[in-house]
Amino acid sequence: MAATGGIGRAVSGPALAHPVTLVRIAIVAALLLAWEALSQSGWLFRDVVPSLWKIGGALGDLLSSRDYWWHLGWTGFEVGAALLIGGLSGLLAGLVLGGSRFLGRAFEPFLYYLGPTPKIIFFPVMIMWFGVGPGSKIALGAISCFFPVVLSTAAGIRQIDLVLIRVGRSFRANAWQMALKVYLPAMRHPVINGLRLGLGIAIIGTLLAETKLSSRGIGFMIIQAYATFAMPRMYALLITLFVLAIGANALVGRLGGVGKRA
Amino acid sequence: MIANAAGKLPTVAPQTSESRALRAEGITKHYTTSEGTITAVDSVSLDVAPGEFLAVIGPSGCGKSTLFNIIGGLVDGYEGRVSVAGETVAGPHASIGMVFQEESTFPWRTVVENVAFPLEIARVSRAERLERARHFISLVGLEGFERRYPAELSGGMRQRVAIARTLAFEPKILLMDEPFAALDEQTRLLLGDKVLQIQQQLKQTTLLITHNITEAVQLADRILVMTYRPGRVKRFVKIDLPRPRSSEIVSSEAFGRYVAKIWSDLREEASRGMQDEETCKRQSGGDGA
Ligand SMILES: Nc1ncnc2c1ncn2[C@@H]1O[C@H](COP(=O)(O)OP(=O)(O)OP(=O)(O)O)[C@@H](O)[C@H]1O
Ligand SMILES: [Mg+2]
Repeated sequence: MAATGGIGRAVSGPALAHPVTLVRIAIVAALLLAWEALSQSGWLFRDVVPSLWKIGGALGDLLSSRDYWWHLGWTGFEVGAALLIGGLSGLLAGLVLGGSRFLGRAFEPFLYYLGPTPKIIFFPVMIMWFGVGPGSKIALGAISCFFPVVLSTAAGIRQIDLVLIRVGRSFRANAWQMALKVYLPAMRHPVINGLRLGLGIAIIGTLLAETKLSSRGIGFMIIQAYATFAMPRMYALLITLFVLAIGANALVGRLGGVGKRA
Repeated sequence: MIANAAGKLPTVAPQTSESRALRAEGITKHYTTSEGTITAVDSVSLDVAPGEFLAVIGPSGCGKSTLFNIIGGLVDGYEGRVSVAGETVAGPHASIGMVFQEESTFPWRTVVENVAFPLEIARVSRAERLERARHFISLVGLEGFERRYPAELSGGMRQRVAIARTLAFEPKILLMDEPFAALDEQTRLLLGDKVLQIQQQLKQTTLLITHNITEAVQLADRILVMTYRPGRVKRFVKIDLPRPRSSEIVSSEAFGRYVAKIWSDLREEASRGMQDEETCKRQSGGDGA
């Protein structure tokens, strides 16, 4: 996700004539050229590195097929549901853990150990609980998304400047006003960052699950293209995925940029 | 006033003419730290008459902010009693407005939104609160900066925003914890004038915490000098200088006598404080080696 973040920023970045932009364009052009040269050289087996034209053709076929949009719809639905479930539960759990020293100290070590564990190891369990359909994919994505959100929310509460809380209380804000006008705005940066990480990880979790055992979704299409050795199609799928990840990341970033000055 | 109108009216004190707007009796506060229990404030009692300006002065670390937060109802677990017009306070009181020592503007709000915050909490309509916020912004001399964010202002300007925000609350009792500490000498004097002017106009009961002697003598009717650790009352000094006072009074002879008197009181305490901190440093340095 770090890489897509960088690209996302470059897109909305400085004017075209800026030297950095020119260098970036040059890098992309050089990579494309190298790719094409490797593909034309014939050193590698058949379609492992297909020509750019073939990939372009496959991309065109893909985008004009109804099949692709149907699968994309499923993946989008699964990722969205995973983000919603994992993000909301992570936010609530983070508020509880961050708000209570005792609970935080009791639970957070487990979260720190579980956080970096690849969540795909839970996939067999998810299949048993939620079946082979979208349910198990959503569950895996939600679990993946939960961890960065809960940890950054809990940390976000603790980094709130205590004097701001005293200001709110001194003006006799009630609990609801404190939450909406002091706590939430004061911790929006870590929370948005957690959601951003969560989104990336939810995409990874969902797609990974789709490649393992599934009959729909982009992950499923990729693995199918691979199994039938339709390399140009596989690369075309990867490209569309790339673009979607960048777009989703930019969207979450935009939400975080609302009060961007502070 | 606003908070009263919108929130609950505080239970009216019995009509036995309470001549004390604010009263603290036997305030003692202990903190438990890793190095044991320390007494931050030790049996401090003070009275402030309606409309009176009391300054509290004392060396750094003597418990001034602790006292400030206790009177403001933001700290629990102390001994003693705080009352406003005879009524014991537990928690933030509707007639008390506070200006904090630390940077306290909301970084995600513009200047005008910051100043309008207490009015927003009191559910004043949008148009009215913006208008009133503008009024207090111009009082502290920040017209033209309404739409700026705190990060785009200097430290002194941010402190003025915090002062304007508390003034917008229109508190009967104004508590300020070293509000001018971040300002340069000239701005400090001018803003001090301004606050004094507003205070006299609104007849606000004021408690100002400071470690600046000039500031205390310039502004206060009475000065409470505190001892260094544990923070106790060393002396109350009445300042009999004519009002209205402007910052020019600083150069008068009577002013100089008050400053000298308080300075001699404070020097003792401050040097005790310095010694204390040095031994602390030496000890912790020894531990580290
Ligand atoms: N939350 C806390 N926990 C432990 N000790 C504290 C706490 N707050 C203050 N203290 C201690 O209490 C003493 C008084 O602190 P306080 O902040 O009231 O001093 P002060 O007079 O306001 O100092 P300054 O002029 O530097 O602001 C200090 O020794 C400080 O270390
Ligand atoms: Mg202090």
